[in-house]
Amino acid sequence: MANKPPPFWQREKYTPYILLLPAILTLVFVVLLPLLFSLYTSFTGYRLIRPESLYQWVGLRNYERIFSDGDFWSAFGRTIIFLTIALNVEFLLGLGIALLINKITWGQRTLRTIMMFPMMFSPILVGYQFKFVFNDNIGILNNALQSLGLSDGAIPWLVDKYLANFAIIFAEVWMSTSVFAILLLAGLFAMPRDPLEAAKVDGCTPWQVFRHITLPFLMPFVFIAMTIRSLDVARAYDIVDVMTGGGPAGRTELLWTLIARTGYDNARMGQANAMAYVSIILSIAFTYYFFTKLIAARKYMGGAA
Amino acid sequence: MIRTTLKQLLAATALSGIAATGAMAEDVDYGNFADYTLRVKLIGGAQYEPLYARISEWEAMTGATVDVLSRKNHFELDREIKQDIAAGTLDWCVGSNHTSFAPQYGAIYMDLNGVIGEETLAEFQELALKNSTVDGRLVQLPRHSDISNLYYIKSRFEDEDNKAAFKAEYGYDLAPPETWDQMKDMAMFFADAPSFYGTQFVGKDEAITGRFYEMLVANGGQLFDENWEPTFNSEAGVKSLQWFKDLYDAQAVPAGALNYLWDDTGLGFASGTVAMNLDWAGWAAFFNDPENSKIAGDVGLVRAPMGDGGVRAGWSGSHTFSITSTCDNVEAAASFVTFLTNHESQMIEASTGLLPTRASVWDAAKEKFAADGNDFLVEVFDTYQLSMSEDAFTPPLIAPWIEVSNEIWPRLQAAILGEMTPQEALDEAAEDARIVMEDAGYL
Repeated sequence: MANKPPPFWQREKYTPYILLLPAILTLVFVVLLPLLFSLYTSFTGYRLIRPESLYQWVGLRNYERIFSDGDFWSAFGRTIIFLTIALNVEFLLGLGIALLINKITWGQRTLRTIMMFPMMFSPILVGYQFKFVFNDNIGILNNALQSLGLSDGAIPWLVDKYLANFAIIFAEVWMSTSVFAILLLAGLFAMPRDPLEAAKVDGCTPWQVFRHITLPFLMPFVFIAMTIRSLDVARAYDIVDVMTGGGPAGRTELLWTLIARTGYDNARMGQANAMAYVSIILSIAFTYYFFTKLIAARKYMGGAA
Repeated sequence: MIRTTLKQLLAATALSGIAATGAMAEDVDYGNFADYTLRVKLIGGAQYEPLYARISEWEAMTGATVDVLSRKNHFELDREIKQDIAAGTLDWCVGSNHTSFAPQYGAIYMDLNGVIGEETLAEFQELALKNSTVDGRLVQLPRHSDISNLYYIKSRFEDEDNKAAFKAEYGYDLAPPETWDQMKDMAMFFADAPSFYGTQFVGKDEAITGRFYEMLVANGGQLFDENWEPTFNSEAGVKSLQWFKDLYDAQAVPAGALNYLWDDTGLGFASGTVAMNLDWAGWAAFFNDPENSKIAGDVGLVRAPMGDGGVRAGWSGSHTFSITSTCDNVEAAASFVTFLTNHESQMIEASTGLLPTRASVWDAAKEKFAADGNDFLVEVFDTYQLSMSEDAFTPPLIAPWIEVSNEIWPRLQAAILGEMTPQEALDEAAEDARIVMEDAGYL
């Protein structure tokens, strides 16, 4: 009796692929196909309100247009600056909060929960909250400053070139600092005690302990948090849209407020997708940078984290 | 058979409109659509909601059910409809629309000529129907109209000290302004930032484009020439833009005005910290309501100021209802939009200050206000009736209007903030608007 081989899907060497198939199919349909589709549309004159324009091939015209468009490059540059400032401020504050909470022995859990409150709000609500706080006429900040005698004019928080960007970064930092705090706190919890005690025995000052032991140990956690947040901030839209809409005069325009206006209000989806592709490259660059840093930090720690 | 019923109902509406101003919905047969579910997308917001309370009446009358798929502000609704067009999911029948937005939707909405009877259409104001027509097709049925006039705090203008001081400074009498130049003088005269402002303006999106546009026309300018070449960077354009900038520089408007939209200006005026406010009639009742407004009983109203061209500003448009070309039950949809724009429906909206599009409702509403002893609303309707009939004009009813507007307003802001001169800002906007018009096939 001949030993008939089983059908190929039952053969052992194919089993891993068959088990992975659902995941692969999901990725193909949910991520890969839309990505390819939007890449294709970035080479067409696709306008949302004219479905037939999907087949109007324009080659590199959309890219040529955005590369020669000063508004796009301002938004691009502003997004990078916005990202850099927001991430660094969030990191410093998050680190401070994590170190402080790590010192507490009583009520730590409650405090950790309270710390996460800002993360629980939808970004749109956070936007409205700060739009009201920073309103020049009826906002509580200006009213408080005037009542305390610190200011006798209406400070145009959401209009001035620097203040408007400050206000938006403030809202972003208020909402997301706890992401850093939580991740860094987890890092502090996982930290071995021995090197700390050894350092104390050797007579290190608290600053030396922090600078040469605690911080290097935390760096991998910092870079993970940075990666996550850089992706988040690079697509910042809701808060900005609610607070200033990218204005006035484009002073707070970030990539995604510009992309949304181009794609939906102006219905130029092809051009918007070209911009989105450039912004993806920005995100990839940041992610790559942080991952390189992460690997370096891990090497430095000898794979401890 | 349904067709006959509809004809009857249309005839009945028209007849009752001619016979008496008080056409009652119950006199009319709106058809029978038992077991049918009408899918609709409506504009939402405080001022639009009272009308929707009538939807249940229409359901009871016709046996149909109304499924409200979305109820959003117009900008969000616009995005949703564009997504529907792109995705091919126009599986609903009735959508809220606006004269400024309608041209960009192309053929997704059907021509209502022949769908809504001539007798019914004859009840609507001619200008409102004309503005609802795109490329010869009546793509929407006007629900109510908007145009802005100038509200002011009476006591500020009647104060003897103010009168004397103004005359001494500017050389003419203090009275509600007739021209934009006078309005600028008075706004600067009244301003005392940060506690009190002369006036304010909406500072972003199509809102500020519209304000600029109506002042441009009032000053004798135009957005485009007859060949659709942008011409708003003219002398009239620069003068109009300079008006905004001068007020902003003089702190006669709130510093945050460039982020303001309609709610901010309306609530600002009601807070009693602004002397003059150009706004639509929808706020009238609110401004004069002691529960909401600090200036109730002290509100005056005059027509929008004139420009150098001797023309009054009259940027106008209508909120409307449209029926999709893909609608599976046109009769039911027609019955629904007819019902929501009939005499009684418009009376409900008129009582909050919204401007009716049926000629007969103007007089009926005024009669009702007079009977209720609400002289203020009678005055409001008199003023707006005049401006609707003499001053109203729409932005160009072309598909790329919103896109052109998106090129204009950031430049207006830049000039107001002093980042470029008004001439530079308008030149740049005109250049970009030209590209938009070129892409859209107008040039």
